[in-house]
Amino acid sequence: MKHALMTGAAALALTASMAQAEQVTVFGPWLGPDQANVEKVLAGFAAASGHDVRYVGSDSFEQQVMVDAEAGSAPNVAAFPQPGLAAGMAARGFLTPLADGTGDWIRENYAAGQSWVDLGTYAGADGNKALYGFFYKIDVKSLVWYSPENFEDAGYEVPTTMEELKALTDQIVADGETPWCIGLGSGGATGWPATDWVEDMMLRTQPPEVYDQWVSNEIKFDDPRVIAAIEEFGAFARNDDYVAGGAGVVASTDFRDSPKGMFSSPPQCYMHRQASFIPAFFPEGNIVGEDSDFFYFPAYAGKDLGTPVLGAGTVWGITNENQAAHDLIAYLQTPKAHEDWMALKGFLTPYKGVNPDAFGDPTLRKMNDILLGATTFRFDGSDLMPGGVGAGSFWTGMVDYAGGKSAADVAAEIQSSWDALK
Amino acid sequence: MHPALQGLLTIVIGVGGCVGYFYFSNVLLDRVIFPARGRDMGRNINRANMVRPWLFLFPAIFALGLYLAYPVAETLRLSLTDRAAGGAFVGLANYQQMMAEPKFWEALRNNFMWLLIVPAAATGFGLLAAQLTDRIRWGNLAKSLIFMPMAISFVGAGVIWKLVYEQRPVDVEQIGVLNAIYLALGGAEPQTWMTIPLWNSIFLMVVLVWIQTGFAMVILSAALRGIPEETVEAAIIDGAGPFQIFFKIKVPQIMGTIMVVWTTITLVVLKVFDIVFAMTNGQWETQVLANYMFDKLFSANDWGVGSASAMIIMLLVTPILAWNVYNARKEMR
Amino acid sequence: MDNIAGSKSSLTWAVHISVAVLVFLWLFPTVGLFVSSFRTSDQIATSGWWKAMFPSVQNLQLRAKAPELQVETDGLYVIEGNLFAEDGRDQTEISVYGISSRAIDAFRPAETAELRKGGTITVEANGDYLMEHTEAFRGSRGQRVFVTAEIPPEFTLTNYDTVLGKDVVKRLVIYFAAAMIFAFVLRYVVRDRAGIMVAALPTSGGLALLLLLILVFGLSTGTVEGAQTGDSMAKAFFSTLTVTIPATIIPILVAAFAAYALAWMDFPGRALLIAIIVGLLVVPLQLALIPLLKLHLQVGIGKGYLGVWLAHTGFGLPLAIYLLRNYMAGLPRDIIENAKVDGATDFQIFVRIILPLSFPALASFAIFQFLWTWNDLLVAKVFLIDATGETTVMTNAIVELLGTRGGNWEILATAAFVSIAVPLIVFFAMQKYLVRGLLAGSVK
Repeated sequence: MKHALMTGAAALALTASMAQAEQVTVFGPWLGPDQANVEKVLAGFAAASGHDVRYVGSDSFEQQVMVDAEAGSAPNVAAFPQPGLAAGMAARGFLTPLADGTGDWIRENYAAGQSWVDLGTYAGADGNKALYGFFYKIDVKSLVWYSPENFEDAGYEVPTTMEELKALTDQIVADGETPWCIGLGSGGATGWPATDWVEDMMLRTQPPEVYDQWVSNEIKFDDPRVIAAIEEFGAFARNDDYVAGGAGVVASTDFRDSPKGMFSSPPQCYMHRQASFIPAFFPEGNIVGEDSDFFYFPAYAGKDLGTPVLGAGTVWGITNENQAAHDLIAYLQTPKAHEDWMALKGFLTPYKGVNPDAFGDPTLRKMNDILLGATTFRFDGSDLMPGGVGAGSFWTGMVDYAGGKSAADVAAEIQSSWDALK
Repeated sequence: MHPALQGLLTIVIGVGGCVGYFYFSNVLLDRVIFPARGRDMGRNINRANMVRPWLFLFPAIFALGLYLAYPVAETLRLSLTDRAAGGAFVGLANYQQMMAEPKFWEALRNNFMWLLIVPAAATGFGLLAAQLTDRIRWGNLAKSLIFMPMAISFVGAGVIWKLVYEQRPVDVEQIGVLNAIYLALGGAEPQTWMTIPLWNSIFLMVVLVWIQTGFAMVILSAALRGIPEETVEAAIIDGAGPFQIFFKIKVPQIMGTIMVVWTTITLVVLKVFDIVFAMTNGQWETQVLANYMFDKLFSANDWGVGSASAMIIMLLVTPILAWNVYNARKEMR
Repeated sequence: MDNIAGSKSSLTWAVHISVAVLVFLWLFPTVGLFVSSFRTSDQIATSGWWKAMFPSVQNLQLRAKAPELQVETDGLYVIEGNLFAEDGRDQTEISVYGISSRAIDAFRPAETAELRKGGTITVEANGDYLMEHTEAFRGSRGQRVFVTAEIPPEFTLTNYDTVLGKDVVKRLVIYFAAAMIFAFVLRYVVRDRAGIMVAALPTSGGLALLLLLILVFGLSTGTVEGAQTGDSMAKAFFSTLTVTIPATIIPILVAAFAAYALAWMDFPGRALLIAIIVGLLVVPLQLALIPLLKLHLQVGIGKGYLGVWLAHTGFGLPLAIYLLRNYMAGLPRDIIENAKVDGATDFQIFVRIILPLSFPALASFAIFQFLWTWNDLLVAKVFLIDATGETTVMTNAIVELLGTRGGNWEILATAAFVSIAVPLIVFFAMQKYLVRGLLAGSVK
């Protein structure tokens, strides 16, 4: 087995460019099962190019990459979970622009290519805009998870509009049960799950242009439209009858713990809104599609805003230039790099050139269908805001809001922290 | 075994280097530069003795200067400049920006609460434990058990106390001790202790008190033993009760030691941020200055304000610093 | 007199009881962690650890066999088996059961329930079940059955297998027992000889055997499936040792010389220097991180062991010098003056007289520094852990584990206990020195 691998690698190395083998270090936010997945993809790159690839994951990626870059000990390639962070790094001159032609490739091969180019284009230290980030691995966030068997036991139907979802929520309360599990706890990042809720609500109550203006702060955070979206979230999270454990525990329940309530006996709740990665935290042996399933977090039928989808993704940038780093970005533009991870878990891609049969898991295809069925796709707004807001005051503000502060006060505080950054 | 061998080798080199430095620099001084023989013997011995203290001190001074004094100066500089503007001098702008943030005032207020409660509680419990354990046969065992939390990392302590404060929904059995006791005593529903302002700060302080009490106990226990027997015996003959002996005779005698313990714990309180970082990260109004500084430096990436808050911490420790220095000088005489 | 004696004995009792209460309070949280690390995730989630010794009533979700295993006899489709066996559990007594998540206690054992999709199920108190239907059962998964049962107390080493790798705890216990026996035999062999070296022989012999066994036979027999930790924990353990030992020894050496100079040598500026060192005791460490990392990279040290040793040395020095100077200043003056009269140089006095006499203070600081470097996370994160993934430390490995296994108390408790085990052993083995040195520093 080992021998076969060795000869395979040797053959690949021969067919690949004869460039000098180098070491390339990749730093990303993935740990645990996802770490094994990304390492498989990188092993493919190592075999194809002959470079020595090392991946390191960290729980505190945001702080660590910044400290390393400031000090000059950055990895070669970093996979940023937040474009805002990448933009900040680019502005300080820590990122190297991607090779010429990368932008054209993205425009041609990614669905909605131009938007991905825009999301990866930042101003550098000299103020000139260039393409610094390459998006690879997308998550869909507008999902509601549930246990099909529990729905069956109670005779509930999957809702297809927000009106139906709210009716179902009331129905469950009327039946003497608790509809939702919501948890915002995430150590130093406590609060972020609520930002996803607010963004989803923003897309379901306002046209996408307003969303874009909100993210770029062209309309203020304390604009009535934003406050209304926050209150839409509050309608779910601040209602003691709606949330398992009561509204008081929302902010302190760990987001990883929260979905487990759907599978306990008797169930503590029936629904959980969270991104596509969450099954990793379901109880052991839970099979998506059997024990658990998901539906699209629906839009208001009465608002005529189509079917908006909120998503996120990791953007790969070169933090310490060498040839191998450029080779890695080029490798990510091959179908194999995408199909390798598609065969595993938790990977969606806008790359049109991949073979959809490569999805190892039918639920991933179902998610991709939600992605493709979107009339509007918007990137997670908090990831696009400056770090001090999107990974700071927005999080803490949402914790304060879940704790009982008024939406207007919270929004005003977030806005003032944004003003302070300018 | 590669890292272990490498470690062993570096230990040998590091330690050998240190020993070698001290040995050969002394030899060099005594034999080559100022040899203690010949015409200038007397003068050379004197001169060698003038230089030698600095030989002994040099590595320590070098390391201290580089690792502690230089960062303080650098932080002061950063707190007066704006990095976004290329490091331009901005005067007190960072301080003004910090003062305008409600989070800063919250951190400052909490810090004062910590400063009032933690040293007092830890010293008080320590004194109590010291006085009680000194009088019983299994006192030494009791002491080492109370002292044990000193050995536990903040990461470990965080997990330990999270389990104590854990809360579960009302209809499920509680796995956190505090909620179980609360419900057993007639509490209506389980509380999320970490989110109740003011109380949550106190629960965080409990963790630090738990860690520091052992330290206070050990030192105060030694001080209590140092009190001359005759004093106590005289008091007993005069008819003093045990409480009178303790408060009127013993405590005044060890007041100096109590102050040392108190200030040492105060320093720990000002510097410590791990507990807050691990358990609430300053949410729900539990922010403290050290964590605020860490937030600004590494999350918000605002070095100006981060450094400014560091200088505030320095300012707060200055009285203790002055008191320490004053005591050290008093001892010298 | 009787009266006084009586009140005295009741007072003694009060003292005993109050100390017991204090010790109980201080020990209780740690014991909780320890007990939890031996329980399964189900048990931790359903009952408090203080009830670990008693059976607990739990609601379980079990499944019958999948429909594809049904048997048809005379037009009757049957699935039968035992619910506990299906789930790989030990059999216990079921008090009530249900087939819908809405009514998990609808039926008593031996009562028959109508399935919603047709057919019936009967569950016995011991978990045996019988499903019958006139048509074939359909679907890909077995019928869910909710049972309420009293689960007997159970302790497991699985958590340690997950965190450390398979069988590590068992092997450590065996090796340790072997080392203890060896040390005991050695002590018997050398019982008649005297001398420091001989006295230390049993302990060091036992330690050597322990290390040898670990090196020869290894600790782990593989990692548990799905666990990401076995290998990395072992690596983190050695990495931590590599950080800790030099970072403990180097500052002691440097500080001892400086402390001697400050205690027994006369030179201008001595008082000022002492004052400065006392002042540096209070510098918060966080603010030193970025300027120093920059400096390290400028002079080419970069991130790695050298950098982290230097950093720990720098940060540990003020306390080391302060403690050691106070201790050395308290040594009897005439010994040193006699030696000077006899013509000994300062270097000789230091090495031959001061160092041996200061052993308690040195040991005490060593323990302090060891605990601090072992428990440290921040300094290691900034100065050591880089993007190559070659270096990590225990605390960091555990924090990452918290990130990936956040809700799993059994993993958290075990990992945390593993991380505090070594400092606790060092602490209990050496605490008499720790106390002595502490006293030297603060009590005059």
